[in-house]
Amino acid sequence: MAEKKKMSVADILAAARADKQSVAESEKPATESKTEAPDAGVNELPASEPPASATKPAASKPASSGRPSVQEMLAMARAGKGNPASEPKATPKPAAKQPSAKKTATAKPVAVDGAKKNVQRDTASILAAARSGAKPGPVSKAEAPALTKPTAKPVAKKVTKAPSRPVPPRPIREKQEKSSKAAVADDRRGFLSYTVGSFMAVGFTALSATGGLFSLGLARFFFPNVLAEPPSRFKVGSKEGFPSGVVETKFVAQYGVWVVNADFEGIQQIYALKTVCTHLGCTPNWLEAEQKFKCPCHGSGFYKDGINFEGPAPRPLERYAISIADDGQLEIDKSKSFQEELGQWNDPASYVTA
Amino acid sequence: MHSNGFFLNDVAGFLGGYYAFIAIMNGIAALVLWRKKDAGTWAFVWSVFAGVMMIFASLALSGSKSMVPILPEAIRGLVNNLSGPVLYTLGTTGILVVLYVFRKFFVQPMVAWTVLNVSLLLLGLSMADENFAAIVMKPDNVPIVGLVYLLAFFTWVATKQAVVNDERIKQGLPVMEKVNDEKVLVWPDLVYTELICMIAVSALLLVWAIFLPAPLEEPASSVKTPNPSKAPWYFLGLQEMLVYFDPWYAGVVLPSLVVFGLMAMPYLDFNKKGNGYYSIEERKFSYLVWQFGFFELWITLIILGTFLRGPNWNFFGPFEYWTPYKVEVLNNVDLPQMFWVQWMDQPLPRAPQDAGVLSQIGYILFREAPGLLIMGAYLVVLPPLMAVTIFRRFYAKMGFIRYMVMSNLMLLMLTLPLKMALRWTLNLKYIISIPEFSLNF
Repeated sequence: MAEKKKMSVADILAAARADKQSVAESEKPATESKTEAPDAGVNELPASEPPASATKPAASKPASSGRPSVQEMLAMARAGKGNPASEPKATPKPAAKQPSAKKTATAKPVAVDGAKKNVQRDTASILAAARSGAKPGPVSKAEAPALTKPTAKPVAKKVTKAPSRPVPPRPIREKQEKSSKAAVADDRRGFLSYTVGSFMAVGFTALSATGGLFSLGLARFFFPNVLAEPPSRFKVGSKEGFPSGVVETKFVAQYGVWVVNADFEGIQQIYALKTVCTHLGCTPNWLEAEQKFKCPCHGSGFYKDGINFEGPAPRPLERYAISIADDGQLEIDKSKSFQEELGQWNDPASYVTA
Repeated sequence: MHSNGFFLNDVAGFLGGYYAFIAIMNGIAALVLWRKKDAGTWAFVWSVFAGVMMIFASLALSGSKSMVPILPEAIRGLVNNLSGPVLYTLGTTGILVVLYVFRKFFVQPMVAWTVLNVSLLLLGLSMADENFAAIVMKPDNVPIVGLVYLLAFFTWVATKQAVVNDERIKQGLPVMEKVNDEKVLVWPDLVYTELICMIAVSALLLVWAIFLPAPLEEPASSVKTPNPSKAPWYFLGLQEMLVYFDPWYAGVVLPSLVVFGLMAMPYLDFNKKGNGYYSIEERKFSYLVWQFGFFELWITLIILGTFLRGPNWNFFGPFEYWTPYKVEVLNNVDLPQMFWVQWMDQPLPRAPQDAGVLSQIGYILFREAPGLLIMGAYLVVLPPLMAVTIFRRFYAKMGFIRYMVMSNLMLLMLTLPLKMALRWTLNLKYIISIPEFSLNF
């Protein structure tokens, strides 16, 4: 059965299409003798009559729309493939696999032998049957010969022997260009599709309008009327509050800034360092004993002047603009920052001489 | 670190149950082996071991801290002094190599059982140390302890099947997967099993959530970073990678390459063998590359990040107290600094103040010339060189494009261990360092 499973989608479709035509041709015989078809569906499929399974799709749903369901297509494809190559072993198993053949206990053709008796099927018996030798499921190589032995007749005959039930004959719809608008309009269902189509149009218009309004509202959400942020300019007190060599950490919690009075390149200056690690943005800690800023995330270290010296940080900490306000206090402006690697620390706005 | 009350209630109480569990586990094993009739010696060994564990359990529950069995102070001190990133990496690599080379020995059930028991015993003895217990019993870290054992078990199972298959292939027999290709039904066999697993896992998660609740902490603040600050456990390998690289590389490029490489794997693999069954001998190259990437560059880094990285991301020994004031000398320099200043004895090439953008870029490229040359040679010259030397057979089978993809993926994967080694030996920070454009490598 291995080669059976390997049927590609293209194969299945091709086989199904080929089969569909033959079904259309043989529609009359199929409709005439349809009585047996439901029985064949419910009962065990008689092994001596494999065509029953093959033609059942055509019979049970006699070309109502001219298009078989996926299951039927698959069934037809399976039957159809055995056809030209006359591979008899193909038929029994797919028949058992058909979901429409309600839990047909086994596909074991030997056991059934044509007699159409109604077998009581409870779960236990299904399980027992499933567990016994004939599995409807995957079949190992060892089991394959046993299943394939009782060969059914080639499917070629299926058209003549198709069992079916009398049904009012339907007009065979010839192939036409259904995509053209005229064809739709001619059809009585054209009205339906027309109204549904317009409902769809209304619905989607409403949907897109709602979506557009929602997006606008969402965009407005990003520009709130009130910003609950501390001001970007703030005063931190007079110069005398920052003695030489001290890193002031009391502004970290509210403003995210260290105010440092230290020597940088020969100038004693007061500067404001941004408390954001230049590696991945964690907040480093000032370690007084080691005289360094140390980041808890990846271990980057910075000297008191903000220069990186250990760990992965690729560049020094950034400075905020600092100046002396009119009242003599130091004022820090967080809207401007200065980067050492760009040479911006020489800018007099980045520090105040102590 | 903790008061005695905490220790006796939480750790010692847990250890009592833990040792009792090991005892019961070994008692059952001894019983099973005894019934097998031909493993009487092992049954005796494990029943004695179970008895010892029972004694340990009662000691742990004795209510006196000094009675709890613990690793000797001297050994703990020695381990603390010896451990460091270098020894850890070399040690784990060595262990993995030994496990691989002697896999035929380690897949024997009794050997594996011995290793499991020894590791469980060592874990219990270590947990009597308060610093170790504080790390291992942290609710976040408990799953990682479980992960280590789970991973070891599954690796062991797969390796065992591979060893058996390799032996059979050598003798010309079909592999075990071909012999036992009995299949079961999805319904009811598989679905029932899945249902039972689902219920068991739900029950486990419930119990876990009740006894090890997630730690609640203060509200997040952008200016307050916990120390140490750790990623979720599955990202700790990434966090460790970030110690050695710029964020764009270790946080964006390398993870994307991992995903891309995993997707590319089936297309790069030209070895038709080993399809549908376990085998190591038939797929040595794929096996080793995969295991190196997974165990060495991902799992060991997760364990390192979880258990051995403390405050300020410093390395701490397993029994060491996590002080945020540990001083470690980690100074490192970029390659241009090293090349121009230390070796050429001249200042870094720097564009004059009023230089235009193009001339600044020119200066930067000149400054970074050594790093750019090294990386260019690594990624451009090495692949063809390997194609005509060690990967000659691969190149012939794979063709140009597939070979280039494979060799470049491999070389990029190897940048991580190479960079780690360079950091440890030469204190090298970045090979290419262009902070002006946030480009560092």
